[in-house]
Amino acid sequence: METSKPARRRDTEDHRREGLESKVEGFNERGRKAVRDRKLHDSISLFTNKTLTGRNAQLRAHPDAPELRERAYRTKQETMANLDYYLSQMADAIEERGGNVFFADDGEDVVRYVGDLARRRGAKILTKSKSMATEEIELNRRLEENYDDLELEIVETDLGEWIAQLAGETPSHIVGPILHMNKERITEILSGVSDEDLPPDVESLAAFARKRLREKFVNADIGITGANFGVAETGTICTVTNEGNARLVTSVPPVHVVVMGIEKVIPKFEDLSTFVQLLSRSGTGQKITVYTNFITGPRGEGELDGAEEFHLILMDNGRSKLLGTEYEEALYCIRCGSCLNVCPVYRQTGGHAYGSTYSGPIGAVITPLLKGDREAKDLPYASSLCGACTETCPVGIPLHDLLLKLRNRQVEEGLAGRAESLMFKGFERTMKSPAAYKAGAKVGRLAQKPLVKDGSIRGAPGMRGWTDFRELAPLAEKSFRELWKEGI
Amino acid sequence: MADRTEFLESIRHRTRRGRYKPTKSPDSVWTPGIDRPEREEIEDPQARFIEELEALGGHGKRTENLEEAREYVLDLAREREAELLVRWDVEYLDELGADEPLRDAGVEVALWHDVPDLRQIAGRADIGLSTATWAIAETGSLVLEHGPGRGRSVTLLPPTYVAILPADRVLQTVPEAIRQYAGGTLPANVCFHTGPSRSGDIEMSLVVGMHGPGDVHVVLVG
Repeated sequence: METSKPARRRDTEDHRREGLESKVEGFNERGRKAVRDRKLHDSISLFTNKTLTGRNAQLRAHPDAPELRERAYRTKQETMANLDYYLSQMADAIEERGGNVFFADDGEDVVRYVGDLARRRGAKILTKSKSMATEEIELNRRLEENYDDLELEIVETDLGEWIAQLAGETPSHIVGPILHMNKERITEILSGVSDEDLPPDVESLAAFARKRLREKFVNADIGITGANFGVAETGTICTVTNEGNARLVTSVPPVHVVVMGIEKVIPKFEDLSTFVQLLSRSGTGQKITVYTNFITGPRGEGELDGAEEFHLILMDNGRSKLLGTEYEEALYCIRCGSCLNVCPVYRQTGGHAYGSTYSGPIGAVITPLLKGDREAKDLPYASSLCGACTETCPVGIPLHDLLLKLRNRQVEEGLAGRAESLMFKGFERTMKSPAAYKAGAKVGRLAQKPLVKDGSIRGAPGMRGWTDFRELAPLAEKSFRELWKEGI
Repeated sequence: MADRTEFLESIRHRTRRGRYKPTKSPDSVWTPGIDRPEREEIEDPQARFIEELEALGGHGKRTENLEEAREYVLDLAREREAELLVRWDVEYLDELGADEPLRDAGVEVALWHDVPDLRQIAGRADIGLSTATWAIAETGSLVLEHGPGRGRSVTLLPPTYVAILPADRVLQTVPEAIRQYAGGTLPANVCFHTGPSRSGDIEMSLVVGMHGPGDVHVVLVG
């Protein structure tokens, strides 16, 4: 076996054999590049540090914070145990108010429903407020491709999300979609769609965006939003924003479509009290966001704005698979982004390295669960298991436990790679028999010799995933037993 | 296309089969639990409301009566050199009696009722004027209930927004405001509106008045 570092290509293949590189995702490759990107680190620290400071201050100042967390966890637990009941109740409430409800198994169902609706309405401009659920199914791209004859203009209206859309990028954080971009890059992107070169100051950039987006807001035919929460009892959709874009998207166009993951439902209107308080504090460090908006069906009798036509799409897209399993708690997530902000891995790699809509610890948990273990093989390993995510989660999801369970599942499914499982089999056998243990230690002491450098082992062949980024302590020259016999 | 009955039946099946029961409650070690502050009763909700709103960059004012509130609106229109003001068509704002003095001062006043190009008018207006059902002391929020005569666009499209409401409508906390709607039938749109519209998407620098009004005033009357 070679001990010197082989060419890059071989390196990748080695990792794959050891079960640490996924075929599609390639977190390790991208992550390795990202950790060397100083500009990226500056951008990430700016966002995460500021947000965490605010979050800590706000939650510390709340006398009932621990109880809120406990209540949020219990409420979610109860909701998931009876999810069919609450979804049915919510659908009834919305239909009673004159809204339409559609149940979508997957992204394809959602695309078809929205596309057909756009065709029926003769829609041209669709405005959207930031929604992770529609990012997850790549709604914009699929609508443009599958319904290209309609020549739809789909416009993201959250400032960050719009800039990402213009740049052809995906959001790199659940809450701060373009936290990875600095002002210079943003100036470049916005100048690209302007007639003139924009000055690189925040006010001018925002003013340009405001003007452009205002035209879209007032001329939109359909408004699309996600839902931060959906209330079963009343059929109310709650969205929280600071810019006011979700409110414009739902107030001006004649049609409003909500794309909501089935796990976003909560039983009662009063439950919003728990969740709104936790979300704004954890997500942005605010006591409440500027616009906490509650929409219940289409506009009422005699109203002159708000959508005339209201559609709620309840989307499964792999979520129901987790119900009743040991991974169910992953569905409790309220997408506040706290676990990303505290994660030592996310803070080094940023969101794009994960190659998934959802990044950070929660992304590392739900991506394999929704997309499959093979597709997202690296992600459960994109964690130091320090538990900061679990500690910070406002609804008490045991994130690092779930990551461990996912690693275990990979091993059981045989995804972990032959080298690793052989090694552990050998380890098991050796540890079970004193004779083998003694012999093994002797062999080990000899075998490790060429690998020990400055008192530790790094980059051992066949154990790359374990030793490339960690130092393995070598076996001591004499065991404790031997020393004892010699009288120490 | 998923059929409702099938969709729900499949979920029902999954929730019932081999139900996994998490044995522990969320980790009790949660930083915010340390040094927990005392629960406090807000003694002067009106003062607290104004304090919170101003901390967010909004403007709060308490007046003795409606006449003073009317003066506030007139002064504001003058300061902002407003040409067009759009307002909710509600009794309380009729009582305010600001329309005539505003028109005398050269400000066009549009009411939110059925006229053509209503959206255009709201889009052109310099000031939006409404009342509010409640205000929330702990956060500086307004609770806006929309309906006939109470358009959403009035509070959203103009760059300056003023709300006038009786001082006894100030509630203490967000949970208290949410409880007002618990178990009842909700209007098609209720909004908790808190201070000027803002964005921090570019390098965490605060931009005020991103899509909604950046200049927000609340007058508490009485």
